[in-house]
Amino acid sequence: MTLTDTHDHLPDEDASPPSRLRMAGISKHFLGVRALVDVSLDVRPGEVHALLGENGAGKSTLMNIASGALLPDAGELWFDGQPVDALTPAAAAELGIATVHQHPAVLPDMTVLENVLVSVPRSSLRSARGRRAAVQAMLDDVGCTAHLEDRVDSLSVAKKHLLELAKALVVRPRLLILDEPTAPLGHESVLLLFERIRRAVQSGASVVYITHRLAEVREIAQRVTVLRDGKFRGEHLVGEVTDDELLALIVGRQLDSTFPPKRAARPEAPLALQVEALSGPGFTDVSFAAEAGEIVGVAGIVGNGQTELLRALTGLAPFTGAVSIGGRAFGPRQLRAHSAYMPADRHADALMMTLGVRENASVTALSHVTDGLFVNRRREIETVRREAQRLAVKTPSLETPVSSLSGGNQQKVVMARALLSRPTVLLADEPTQGVDVGARSEIYKILREVSDSGVPVVVASSDAKELEGLCDRVVVLSRGHKVAELSGEEVSEDAIVGAAIRADARRAADAGRKRSSRLGRFVRGDYAPVAVLAAVILALGAYVNARNHRYLQPYNLNSLMLLAAALGFIAMGQTICLLLGGIDLSVGPLSGVLVVIASFFMTKQDSGARIVLGVVLMVLWAVLIGMLNGSLIRFLRFTPVAATLATFIALQGIAFVFRKVSGGYIARPITNVITHKIGRFPAAFLILVALTVLMELALRRTRWGLALRAVGSQEDAARKVGIRVTRTVLAGYVAASLFVVLGAVMLLAQIGVGDPAQGEGYTLASVTAVVLGGTSLLGGRGTFVGTLLGAVLSVQVLNATTFLELSQTWVYFFQGALVVAAALIYSQVRGRLGRRV
Amino acid sequence: MNTVAALDEPTGRGGWRVSRGLLTVLSACVALFVASAIFASSSVTKGPLLGMLPYASVLAIVSLGQTLVIQQGGIDLSVPGSVSAVVVICTHEAQNQDSRLWWVVLLALGVSIAAGVLNGVLIGRLGLNAIVATLGTSSLMYTVVFGVSGGIPRSTTPLLAKIASGLTLGIPRSVFFAVGATVLTTVVVKRTAPGRRFEATGANPAAAVTAGLHVYRYRIGAYVWAQLHYWLGGVLLAGILSQPTAFQGNAYLLPSVAAVVLGGTSLLGGRGNLVATALAALFLEQLGQFVLALGVTFAIRTLVEAAALVVGVALYTVDWRAVRARLFPPQQTSSI
Repeated sequence: MTLTDTHDHLPDEDASPPSRLRMAGISKHFLGVRALVDVSLDVRPGEVHALLGENGAGKSTLMNIASGALLPDAGELWFDGQPVDALTPAAAAELGIATVHQHPAVLPDMTVLENVLVSVPRSSLRSARGRRAAVQAMLDDVGCTAHLEDRVDSLSVAKKHLLELAKALVVRPRLLILDEPTAPLGHESVLLLFERIRRAVQSGASVVYITHRLAEVREIAQRVTVLRDGKFRGEHLVGEVTDDELLALIVGRQLDSTFPPKRAARPEAPLALQVEALSGPGFTDVSFAAEAGEIVGVAGIVGNGQTELLRALTGLAPFTGAVSIGGRAFGPRQLRAHSAYMPADRHADALMMTLGVRENASVTALSHVTDGLFVNRRREIETVRREAQRLAVKTPSLETPVSSLSGGNQQKVVMARALLSRPTVLLADEPTQGVDVGARSEIYKILREVSDSGVPVVVASSDAKELEGLCDRVVVLSRGHKVAELSGEEVSEDAIVGAAIRADARRAADAGRKRSSRLGRFVRGDYAPVAVLAAVILALGAYVNARNHRYLQPYNLNSLMLLAAALGFIAMGQTICLLLGGIDLSVGPLSGVLVVIASFFMTKQDSGARIVLGVVLMVLWAVLIGMLNGSLIRFLRFTPVAATLATFIALQGIAFVFRKVSGGYIARPITNVITHKIGRFPAAFLILVALTVLMELALRRTRWGLALRAVGSQEDAARKVGIRVTRTVLAGYVAASLFVVLGAVMLLAQIGVGDPAQGEGYTLASVTAVVLGGTSLLGGRGTFVGTLLGAVLSVQVLNATTFLELSQTWVYFFQGALVVAAALIYSQVRGRLGRRV
Repeated sequence: MNTVAALDEPTGRGGWRVSRGLLTVLSACVALFVASAIFASSSVTKGPLLGMLPYASVLAIVSLGQTLVIQQGGIDLSVPGSVSAVVVICTHEAQNQDSRLWWVVLLALGVSIAAGVLNGVLIGRLGLNAIVATLGTSSLMYTVVFGVSGGIPRSTTPLLAKIASGLTLGIPRSVFFAVGATVLTTVVVKRTAPGRRFEATGANPAAAVTAGLHVYRYRIGAYVWAQLHYWLGGVLLAGILSQPTAFQGNAYLLPSVAAVVLGGTSLLGGRGNLVATALAALFLEQLGQFVLALGVTFAIRTLVEAAALVVGVALYTVDWRAVRARLFPPQQTSSI
């Protein structure tokens, strides 16, 4: 942090007590765009301080600096009178600063309880009745009705926010930052939230409350600071300022870009676009009608249904109600085929970043430039070039990847694509976000031209000034409802912002008020596959035994368990990698190489010391391979498939480097130890079961297990709650390799000789076992118990076919059918039921 | 930077420019054949070349199919089952009679298409993970293998052997099939409207949706189209081998993925370097011949392949500019 004029801004020594948070002269630039210029903020102890301003005024940026997520370019910060240098998120937490972000940083695949445990320090969760009770109490405190064992993925947005709020309150922060906390909440939750804020303030905390809504400022805050365009506009006591005075501080930004003239008034213009009683996910009962040549604006505070309305109008979301264009009715299907949509997030939703300008622009227009079977390249280039020239796209060539263009030119490429599809209606969501001033004017001009040509244009924007300049009619949404419709002379920034921030529409109470049922949680939980598998295993066993009584004889059970132990150990390793969201293809050949290594140290002639050396070398080798896999993935950024495929091939070769042909018979005493029985069961199988239970507990209860699943669930969120991702991944791959060592020990007894060609089959077999066990290949959810049963079932099926005297054909059939059926059932249960809570 | 108005591209050759992947693989191939000629001249004589090319052709064809699937962000582990099934159908069901050949080739085609539709529906429509679904399909195809053959090898008909392993103009015929498949697939992907939409969908499915495309159609298409390649590769393989085993396809899974990766097609999907994939297949096979002629073992050959794969992937994944900047910092900053 650069320090500027240090002494002038020192807190007043006379004023007691010092400010909780004082920020002075804060400036911040993003890629040359000024987000904050010389902003100051002074939050007194025990007050609720509202931070008010339009979208993009710099409120969130300022609070990101206060919470350590961003470093300012210039300016100073004091906390309780002490100057603070280079604030980090960890240091902020240390000082007692807690933040509830607009977008909750939760781990979707983990339960509510686990989400709390992984991010809240233990010291904050003390309770006489244990940690569980403490977590339950903290949820009850904010009125979050989620069950502790509910998967966060299945919670409503409101519940996720309440969870975040609970996490922030439970650490008893000295400064609580709330970024638009009421946006997703129902009326009762808002009342409870205000109550909790007042209570926190009474116990001495200060609150910074970011909002757009004047009504909330009046209700909860004592003092208000207004930002506009990254600059400080004023600080007032809430009781001493009127709504109109605040509004005057908020609006009035100067715009550098120029707008094309609006539509000339035509008395009898036909209606071009009619929307009647449109409802869908995120918006309710929206109606408006636009005359030909009118540009319709959709305004409101970000996230109040604008994007959802546009997606419905483009046919991407279901809706009820009627849409007609030029007098013809359009359903979702027709809209999908005839509309053109420019999404707000260009990079994620609009552009194929690795492809060039031409390929991006022409993808919707290919059928217009096709001769017979083939795309006519000359006509395609001509068409794209003409459009690109009309839109003044600045690019070195038409083949330049769009990723290397500026934001404005990328947006023009999206626009070129939209126009080349010859749309019936054009829908643009935040068309000038991240676009430079010059390109803005050009985009406005083109939108006006399109509208003049008779194609209805609908523009959603969070920038009221932009809508004022561009649109002939503006619909203002609040919480999904239309709260105002302005047309002609009424369209002004004041009117738009006034309607949006004065609106007091509350969301209906949370839909998912009733708590999830015990059965529902189990079905969606990680352990449902375990129950299914256990039932299948028992049923299969009973059936085979009924057909052939030798099946349950000790000899067969013994060999079954030994085979299951070999596959089971290796599959446990694979489970770790899949939980991380990766995969380890190298486990098969690794087990082969380990057997080959052992075959040099464990023959009849070898002494005890040599055998120990062999084991040590096996372990070292496994650690090396695990480190290699993890490093390729984390440091060289290989995909897990590519990284472990390379290791797979290399290990195949290395096995043959060690031994050209098979040799080195494993000494009998050693195989006897490996196949030793305790009572009626092989010791190895019992060890596998014990390890499974231990790993399962570790996965649920320890910080390591939580970190593992957090990384697999969502890497970014895991990083935000303070997990070291790279270390977790490396440790995971090493642990996987160590489990392969145990599998290789079992193979020593089964193969009995160092054969360089063995082991490869265990790669796919292990993946099969893990998938049968219900672990998701997407990472984050799964169980070791399921993997154990998956391995048992795999081995059992193979074994059963011999007892039923079925041919090898059936072995493959059962293997294939089982995997597909298991994957289908698990994914349907999670996908369909999981989201419907 | 220019506006487009300023630059005047006179011809329509824009899309045919040489990709980085193709350039890399092409130079690797040239370097390998030069090295073969210098250090192991026996590997570039007529005999070994005629022996290597048919296998390179089959690998190239199978890898093209794998490329199509990977372009859609998937991966196809059903290669072993599918190729083995085609080989077994073409050898067993033909019963050594040339008259039955056309029928069995069509039968194999039907089975392949069924496998592709199964993969495509499971992944594109029902949203299963590609690894799981294709693993299951591979097992189901092995059901076909054992149902047809019982695991006992049998040789193919004289006609198929003649077609697949004969020479035309002194070149193994399978090479013509491989070149034909490469040209056809490349033309369809790069030159037709559905092919272009296919590539765009793979590059960013979310963007394809907002552009009005139906993603699942292209996903299903990828798996079916890939199976057509495995079918062609399998039919040729049946004719090339005198005694094919029941597990003939197993040897093609990992090399096909390796060829795709070496060809510079990202495992995350998007643009496919089809010609580069085919050349990478040739590279891998010749690499085998080269190290064989050098007298090194299978072990070294495999290690060299793994190293080639690591270097090949690292060429694309590592930000070499950043590495250079760190190793050789510019003068101004190093003085601080």
